[in-house]
Amino acid sequence: MVDVFVPDTLDEAVGFLGHHAGAAIPIAGGTDVLVDTRTGRSAPEWLVDLSSLPGLGGVELDGEVLRLGALTRIRAVELDPELQRRAVALVEAAKVLGSVQIRTMATVGGNLCHGTPSAEMPPALLVHDAVAEIVGLGGRRSIPLAELFAGPGRTTLGPDELLTSLRARVRASSAGSCYLRQTVRWSMDLAGVGVAASVEVEGTTVTSARVALAAVAPVPLLVGSATETVVGTDLPSEVADEAGRQAAAACSPISDARGTADYRREVVSVLVPRALRIAWLRATGAWPEGVPAPVNGVWTEEDL
Amino acid sequence: MRIELRVNGDDYRREVEPDLTLLHFLRDVLGLTGTKWGCLTGDCGACTVLVDGEPVVSCLQLACQVRDREVTTVEGLETADGLDEVQAAFVSNGAAQCGFCTPGMIVAVEALLRSNPSPTEAQVRESLSGNLCRCTGYNKIVDAALQAARARLLATDIA
Ligand code: FES
Ligand code: FES
Repeated sequence: MVDVFVPDTLDEAVGFLGHHAGAAIPIAGGTDVLVDTRTGRSAPEWLVDLSSLPGLGGVELDGEVLRLGALTRIRAVELDPELQRRAVALVEAAKVLGSVQIRTMATVGGNLCHGTPSAEMPPALLVHDAVAEIVGLGGRRSIPLAELFAGPGRTTLGPDELLTSLRARVRASSAGSCYLRQTVRWSMDLAGVGVAASVEVEGTTVTSARVALAAVAPVPLLVGSATETVVGTDLPSEVADEAGRQAAAACSPISDARGTADYRREVVSVLVPRALRIAWLRATGAWPEGVPAPVNGVWTEEDL
Repeated sequence: MRIELRVNGDDYRREVEPDLTLLHFLRDVLGLTGTKWGCLTGDCGACTVLVDGEPVVSCLQLACQVRDREVTTVEGLETADGLDEVQAAFVSNGAAQCGFCTPGMIVAVEALLRSNPSPTEAQVRESLSGNLCRCTGYNKIVDAALQAARARLLATDIA
């Protein structure tokens, strides 16, 4: 039987995890952890319940910097009016995660630390240049979010370490982002391929861009080469398509129940240009505020 | 582990196993069997209850994690005058066949109407996307949800 420890403070949580290294795992929303313990995928002796620790939730904006507490519920991200304007990829990724019930329970930190390659939050946060803030017995440290992921179901966190918050860059103007996902079902499904893109512009010219992928590599992937291709252009479709080909070349998908490796690569080459174009339209103001990206990224003038 | 929580307006103090789920606490400890045990993996929604007014799947929530919070199950929706608008609309629309998904559906609709009193059909479908029904084909459930919304708006207008 699993026992549950309920710490009063972050220090107590970290101390307990360090002392029971290998035998204790943190639980917050529980939507992954309890499925894992039930199916035997993990068999901890202790669950350390973080859900009522103070100070680890909340969405705060300070200029262009978003601070997202690790215990922030996915549903809170989805419904945040400021994020709906400034971090659309994050909101679109939140919207397609699980169901309303799951989103009400699941946390941003849990979605990142479970290390699932198909998870929604990682690519959406990667394109917003997120930094992970971590606390452990050795004190605090910050790493670029990409360095958090070690492989399927694994992170680079030590057994005593906890993700406490994310810092991300969310510009209020001349910037746009988008998250698209290929799935078989729509709700309660994992991504066959997830694509996030963000674009910053001066006028209509791209000054900076990011593309990140889910479910097509052992870890969520930031695709640097695609970025270089689009910077300095007005993102015509040939350039967006070229970025798509580069993203497809950069990933290393496996074949499983959700699709073959070849199919996934093909989907990447199609969804990346669509996500980049929508992000660019949002950055230039050509995409009306509040209009969500169609699920597959295909739209006509009439949709706008 | 000792927990204190409020369920359907009543306060309970109980000693529970630390890994007991809220679902099993409600069914086996309190005898509130309206909340159904379907998949135990968060996929079917049959175990949906409200915690502090928000919909959660009680199979993925430890009872000890809801300490000091307020839980509402399908049994807690009835009013002094009988069935509430959502329950009544499920009856009058024939929105249940075997009925196994019904408590979860009703609680999920209740959660939606509390945050969005006049939802569109698309919003109803979206908010029920975590609730599986193997019998009805969903249309009558959606009809019931929309009718419940109208009935409740009307009732608040009159009041
Ligand atoms: S029993 Fe909880 S979601 Fe199925
Ligand atoms: S009425 Fe039978 S599962 Fe819905």
